[in-house]
Amino acid sequence: MTTGGAGHFFPENFLETLTARHKILHAIREYFDTAHYLEVETPIMVLSPGIDPYIDAIHAGTGFFLSPSPELQMKRLLTIGGVPCIYQITHAFRENERGYQHNPEFTILEWYHSKKDYVDIMQEAEQLIYYLLHDAGLTLPAKEKYTFPFLRISVDAIFRNRAGWEPSCQWDEDRFFLDWVEKIEPYLKSVGGVFVTDFPAPLASLSRLKEDNPLLCERFELFLRGIEVANAYTELIDPVEQTQRFKNSQGKRKIMGKESYEIDTKFITALQHGIPECAGAAMGIDRLIMALLGIDDISKVQTFPFDRL
Amino acid sequence: MIDTSDIRKNLKVEIDGYPWIVVDFQFVKPGKGQAFTRTKFKNLITGNVIERTYKSGEKLEEAAIEEHEMAFLYSQGNNYHFMNNQTYDQVEMSEDQVGDAKYFLTENMKVEVMYFKERPIGIELPNFVELQIVHTEPAVKGDTVSGATKTAEVSTGFKLQVPVFLSNEEWIVIDTRDGAYVERVKR
Repeated sequence: MTTGGAGHFFPENFLETLTARHKILHAIREYFDTAHYLEVETPIMVLSPGIDPYIDAIHAGTGFFLSPSPELQMKRLLTIGGVPCIYQITHAFRENERGYQHNPEFTILEWYHSKKDYVDIMQEAEQLIYYLLHDAGLTLPAKEKYTFPFLRISVDAIFRNRAGWEPSCQWDEDRFFLDWVEKIEPYLKSVGGVFVTDFPAPLASLSRLKEDNPLLCERFELFLRGIEVANAYTELIDPVEQTQRFKNSQGKRKIMGKESYEIDTKFITALQHGIPECAGAAMGIDRLIMALLGIDDISKVQTFPFDRL
Repeated sequence: MIDTSDIRKNLKVEIDGYPWIVVDFQFVKPGKGQAFTRTKFKNLITGNVIERTYKSGEKLEEAAIEEHEMAFLYSQGNNYHFMNNQTYDQVEMSEDQVGDAKYFLTENMKVEVMYFKERPIGIELPNFVELQIVHTEPAVKGDTVSGATKTAEVSTGFKLQVPVFLSNEEWIVIDTRDGAYVERVKR
């Protein structure tokens, strides 16, 4: 796999990129601190990597994994009374992901807010990007490329327009992802900022299904110039349904011949004891920096991408 | 069979009965979704370029291409003649088949002639070739900006950018993959 030839040398004008990266990270913290979020830390080494059919974890010694996402631990923190909203900037790790938008180790921002849903989080994500582009005192080259408010379009609508079918009622997973990379992604590149919302239920992952239409879930992804920058949900907090989803994912991994992961029982116990209604988002910081600086290769915004180690 | 994780530049595969070479590829993976390798191929016979998306784990068929070392003899009109120095077999290829390699061919140069289903379909050059400059303007006195370049034409008619210190009849090394100047050689 290629990451665009990172090689031994640092990219041209790398100090500018590093300086911008430093300022963007600082501004993100400023944004959340001002909004009274509590910054937290969760471990990089975990016992259960969560169970997603298409996310492979990296082993870190006997019984441990490098965390592919801090999601499960962060939601458990919400069970502490009086913690309404938390955020963290950390590193996440995923096996076999290398390309212009992927590196096995990457920087991730996650934030969770109790008593909110995915529409609130969408607004918050939009405000954060607006803040970074206009109010944080940064001079970002891609500033002019984004107009606010961002477009909001449902998965069904985008597929109807670009691929001629509606995934939620004619579910076909292989067709969905192939059309996504061949028809949807090229379109997303042509728009500045867009929220793609309401994914089909089979792609709900850890999100809540919509009450008025259980074929859809309360999940969105944010794209900036076609770069998938964030994924967010109204969080599923039902322990029975969550256990069933994990089991389904285990089944799918088995069919694909992939390594099986244990269910994180402490996370399920936390759900049983009651995680508050909440919503949250995960944002890829390397990709955000790419989108804000107009850089098209992740290896040009990370100090030591895989190929430069 | 080749797995998608083995896809790399210059890999040769067979699709629909034709030999294709990978000119570019990209790992793509929508969030919470399947991984793909978006691959751009060039048809080794027609020169057509196509793009295909392969799901991770899909298999491709390697193109059964045989390569024989041959020496370039001469060109006449649109035809290029090569000879196998072991068997003395000669083959003739059209300008289209030779493609951009024509800019770097000199008499007796050793090249790899590619055969697909026993038919010659093209040639592969060494990565680096030595060619002589036949025309370049003298350096402008006082132009000492480091990295300054000027145009030079080599004996095959190919033109490229070279450092200003080079002059007519000097020999240089050219990278045949991108046509770029590499270094000066003493002959």
